[in-house]
Amino acid sequence: MNENYSVIGKSVPKMDGRVKVTGQAKYTGDLKFPNMLVGKILTSPHAHARIISIDTSKAEKLPGVKAVITHRDVPSLKYGISPARWDENIFCIDKVRFVGDKVAAVAALDEETVYRALKLIRVEYEVLPAVFDPVEAIREGAPRIHDEYPMNINTEIHQNFGDVEKAFAEAHHVRTDLFMGQRTYQCPIEPHSAISIWEGGKLTVYSSTQSPHYHQYYIAREFGLKMGDVRVIKTFVGGGFGGKLEPTGLEFAGAALSRITGRPVKMFYDRHEMFAHNRGRHRQIMEVTTGVDKNGKILGLHANFIMDGGAYTSLGIASAYYAGAMLTLTYDFENYKFDMIRAYTNLPACGAQRGHGAPQPRYALEAHLDMVARDLGIDPLELRLRNARQPNTITPNEFKVNSCELTACIEKARELSGWKQKKGNLPSGRGIGLAVGSFVSGAGYPIYRTNLPQAAAIIKVHEDGSAATLYTGATDIGQGSDTVLCQMAAEAMGYFYENMKIVSADTETTPHDFGAYASRQTLMSGSAVKQAGEEVKQQLLEMAGEMMELPPGELDCREGIVFSKYSPEATRTFAEVAREFFVQKGPLVGRGSYTPPKLGGKFKGAPVGTSPAYSFAAQISEVEIDGETGQIDVKEVWDVHDCGMVINPALLRGQVHGALFMGMGESVWEEVVFDKNGRILNGNLGEYRMPTAVDMPKITSELVESYEPAAPWGVKEVGEGATIPTMGCFSNAIYDAMGVRVYSLPLSYEKVWRALKEKKEMESGLKSAAGRIYDKC
Amino acid sequence: MYLPDFDYQSPGSLKEACQILAAFGSRARVLAGGTDLMIKMKHGLLAPDVLVSLKNISQLAGIGYVQGRGVVIGARATHNDLVNSPVLQKKYLSVCEAAHHMANNQIRNVGTVGGNIVNAVPSADLPPILIALNAAVKLVGADGERELPLESFFTGPNRSVIGTDEILSEIVIPDQTSTGSTYMKFGLRRSGALAVVGVAVAVTVAGGVLKEAKIALGAVSPTPMRAVKAEELIRGRAVTDELLEEAGVCAAGECSPISDIRGSKEYRQDMVRVFTRRALRRAINEGHV
Ligand SMILES: Cc1cc2nc3c(=O)[nH]c(=O)nc-3n(C[C@H](O)[C@H](O)[C@H](O)COP(=O)(O)OP(=O)(O)OC[C@H]3O[C@@H](n4cnc5c(N)ncnc54)[C@H](O)[C@@H]3O)c2cc1C
Repeated sequence: MNENYSVIGKSVPKMDGRVKVTGQAKYTGDLKFPNMLVGKILTSPHAHARIISIDTSKAEKLPGVKAVITHRDVPSLKYGISPARWDENIFCIDKVRFVGDKVAAVAALDEETVYRALKLIRVEYEVLPAVFDPVEAIREGAPRIHDEYPMNINTEIHQNFGDVEKAFAEAHHVRTDLFMGQRTYQCPIEPHSAISIWEGGKLTVYSSTQSPHYHQYYIAREFGLKMGDVRVIKTFVGGGFGGKLEPTGLEFAGAALSRITGRPVKMFYDRHEMFAHNRGRHRQIMEVTTGVDKNGKILGLHANFIMDGGAYTSLGIASAYYAGAMLTLTYDFENYKFDMIRAYTNLPACGAQRGHGAPQPRYALEAHLDMVARDLGIDPLELRLRNARQPNTITPNEFKVNSCELTACIEKARELSGWKQKKGNLPSGRGIGLAVGSFVSGAGYPIYRTNLPQAAAIIKVHEDGSAATLYTGATDIGQGSDTVLCQMAAEAMGYFYENMKIVSADTETTPHDFGAYASRQTLMSGSAVKQAGEEVKQQLLEMAGEMMELPPGELDCREGIVFSKYSPEATRTFAEVAREFFVQKGPLVGRGSYTPPKLGGKFKGAPVGTSPAYSFAAQISEVEIDGETGQIDVKEVWDVHDCGMVINPALLRGQVHGALFMGMGESVWEEVVFDKNGRILNGNLGEYRMPTAVDMPKITSELVESYEPAAPWGVKEVGEGATIPTMGCFSNAIYDAMGVRVYSLPLSYEKVWRALKEKKEMESGLKSAAGRIYDKC
Repeated sequence: MYLPDFDYQSPGSLKEACQILAAFGSRARVLAGGTDLMIKMKHGLLAPDVLVSLKNISQLAGIGYVQGRGVVIGARATHNDLVNSPVLQKKYLSVCEAAHHMANNQIRNVGTVGGNIVNAVPSADLPPILIALNAAVKLVGADGERELPLESFFTGPNRSVIGTDEILSEIVIPDQTSTGSTYMKFGLRRSGALAVVGVAVAVTVAGGVLKEAKIALGAVSPTPMRAVKAEELIRGRAVTDELLEEAGVCAAGECSPISDIRGSKEYRQDMVRVFTRRALRRAINEGHV
């Protein structure tokens, strides 16, 4: 690691490691307040139905029940995290649109009473025809889910860059493949929960959230409160992965119940309710066409997609744009066409899951390119090297890529995995596959239109200089932003990590930040923190200059020691200078904020996918397939990342392992399954099969040298990027092992078995056909 | 997901337990490890008024060899008790292995063999291997006890011959003439996955000839089942790869799986073919494993 730094670049222990492993960390569900009530939401048993009547009288009479509310008791303003399509209500007014839609809520003295009260609410429904498939949903005559959206079209995108038709006409080879994605769910280990306390004119919400800011903004909007009268406090959070970015019924219904009862109200989802609330990955149907020259150089790409959005928009507009936008990042080509329809269906709403809209399209493209390489007789790795994006280039959809070491990633993965020796030489049943990916280091624009900076930070040095507290709106949901940002603060100040304290993600005490999504915090929050740290250091050095009778420009500070750059024996401690500063001038405080430069083009949807910097990755996996059962045994995975300068290598590896774990699960095992009435069949961790510890393969996580000029200390993202290539990489490894391609996710054992069976039947069919021909000769 | 109210009793003897059960009839339930029962109660599928815990009935614990009877397993033995039992490890490692591939370690520490049987789920992992080994179960009721082959215990999914006042007290694996046995579970991940199919076999091999074979299948019919036609097909014949494949094909034809979220009927049948062949091969070559 770099000698120039004393705090960053080191695997310092996590800020919250100790309290978490000892069980002292308090999550929202652990908190208790005097007089606190328990609340729960009654949800719809039907996928699509008109509400005829709701009778809450019996529930209200149950001893211990303090409030029963329906749409009549709450604002009817529609909300949603995507401002262009607000389409949700706190409680359904006229119709329910999926099994799990919100109908009423109860607050009572204890959990048992709440559950009993829910059973006493009588709702009369007129069941309507429902539609569960996005292709059927956009057909003429399909049941209409929202009156405002004809043909159930939630979002429609048609983007065209360069001239794809011409590129295809001139291409040596044009190939089209069709792939199916699946619905997956984030499954954070901690269920969502929220405690709402409405006292006087002020609402305080403790929440298991990825973004206190968006919660604050939308809760204030819904209830007509000033932002300043809504305080959202993140507690410890047990994972989010995109599913806890937007406020849920827990916050909205909880706030309403608290206002009515005048008491704190705790609400939570159980595991099944989490699956029903969803906001997980969209299922996409993906047709990919590329035209290439005879050397495999990509001339044009057409992505033609449909996605199942579920019953509401959630973050889906962005997901829809991301699906196409991110495909241009990894390869250098000029002609690109992207068509997308996001359809409403009567299933739980989908949103952003690690990698957002990008992983399934990436799977489609990477599997497709392997087929193209095979058509041309080119090694798939070589094909990627020939097309790999280079630094300081611009994508056809106008993303500016500064640092980009994709070529180095591919080459290093090739060496580490032994690709050259293995490719084509592995025993039958064993295969090796490669895929690449790229991801934003923060979205160039916030989710709703505003000119607020992306991030801000304040550092306050303790009066005697023995500690410093970082105040940041950045949101640690387990990934370690508190730790990384304290490292960055200490580095910028010339201070110690060990003396850092942090207050984060509380809208009243910490400065604004949009939160944990789009892999933005290390770069964006980090920029603000660095600036704040430098401001502290600047003031400190000026004070030290006075004390040491030296010009401040001659001084520097590192690891808590202020020293002269020219006469090293002249020193003061950080602490004594900071104390003197306080005595003479008052609090020693540094401030910082970060606004990215204007990014992207002018076409419709141009902002989605813009980012100050992009990470790049190459993944190779080696698998062994049981030819009779289709069972996939993942032997080893190599991930090589270009994520710029690394602040904390241990946390980086944690992110790579975690992302691979999720990507692997989505590749082979995970899928949310519904019955024909739209009820979830596997809303539990037994039948929604995420990998377990014993399913995890050996993982090699490596880096390439890289420095991002647009970022503090040259950092880039890693949290989501490592999920992007995984599914394609497994698809390609399976193909390499068995010569069969499974065109739908997950690449389950049974699907591999079926593909092998079909291949065998076809071969023996061909053989017997050939036999018949020979017979005639 | 809220556990309803119930009364809790933990009698010190089987007799007392049976009396309580008899008094409350279908309003009472036996509680062993609770890994099935608690989940059903939380989901509102069962709402017994009384739970009769077996935890103080020490006679139900323990695994030992009894001359003249065989290996006697107390119904309250946990899966990990089976895994770690020296007697089973020595005589029927196949039973230890079957227990070891169940659920996950947390569940194996509390879930019991009695619960696994009485629960009567088609995919349960222990019944096939116990059936293949000819095990019998002892049921103790308020007015007496009876012993019957495990094979005739099950009557359908979640159904068996056990009476509301009866407790399964022990499982007996009689002395064997078989030379090898094994259970192969095909699940969709390495841990915490229920069987898509489970195949247990016990074989008696002498001089390269299959004198006797028992094949018991799980997860492919309403109850654990024997593949009797396949057994007949191979009885008395010389062991060859072709023969074992034939046995697999035959067993696949005998079972009647359903399609569900874990696998289609077609897939399950083919897996019966594959794992019947593999299990036979393993038991023939490796003994009780
Ligand atoms: C996460 C998880 C994973 C699992 N994985 C597997 C798996 O891989 N394979 C598998 O086979 N099972 C699995 N199970 C199911 C379960 O753990 C087993 O069936 C277990 O053996 C049940 O035993 P128990 O002692 O917990 O039963 P309990 O829940 O206590 O009882 C189950 C039923 O049997 C009755 N009962 C129990 N003991 C007696 C007795 N001695 N006499 C009369 N009636 C009795 C109870 O009244 C109840 O109706 C899993 C369960 C979970 C929660």
